[in-house]
Amino acid sequence: MIDFDALLTALGKHEVAFIVVGGAAAIAHGSARLTQDLDIVYDRSPANLDRLVVALAEYKPYLRGVPAGLPFHWDRATLARGLNFTLVTSLGDIDLLGEIPGGGGYRDLLTEAIELHIFHSRCLCLSLDQLIRSKRAAGRPKDLDALAELEAIREERGHS
Amino acid sequence: MERSSYPSDPDPVVEAYKKDIDRTLIRENLKLTVEERFRKAMALARFADELKRAGREAQSRKS
Repeated sequence: MIDFDALLTALGKHEVAFIVVGGAAAIAHGSARLTQDLDIVYDRSPANLDRLVVALAEYKPYLRGVPAGLPFHWDRATLARGLNFTLVTSLGDIDLLGEIPGGGGYRDLLTEAIELHIFHSRCLCLSLDQLIRSKRAAGRPKDLDALAELEAIREERGHS
Repeated sequence: MERSSYPSDPDPVVEAYKKDIDRTLIRENLKLTVEERFRKAMALARFADELKRAGREAQSRKS
């Protein structure tokens, strides 16, 4: 089961630069949908990759859905070679994304991201409009229901 | 980066899905703080895990 509290606290404690996206961002905005993982867009700077490695190391990150025993080294070199990583940790599943459709990378998303103060920490999260744009750009049939809910949230908040 | 022209271009497919959204759940969530929303989501995930476990157990008793 996902432990949002512990994961966000670990990332915050090590000053990892990241933005909460996906289902967790939807929860922050009021979604009632169940989500099984924490999706984040992370800054790809070498210093931040180092912070990310340290922050998650003790929770034993490993590739999700691959055969057990496949060699996987949790270090900066591995992160630098890839972009998106779907991981399982002892605190739950986390997806590390270099960029998202309709939004781009960490620095592109910063301009509109909102700050959340949660679990005795602070972190950035996609704004509701960013989240909607991202879901729209992804264009996946499985997102239609989530997209409809996000637009309903926007209406309920009186933004339309 | 090009952005969609939201909210001026409602998607008819999304609009159709929107009719089935339970807005009472949204309204209740909007009354909570962000932290309370995450705690509620974690409690829901725990409940879902427990249901899955109970379902597997019932299935194994049956077979």
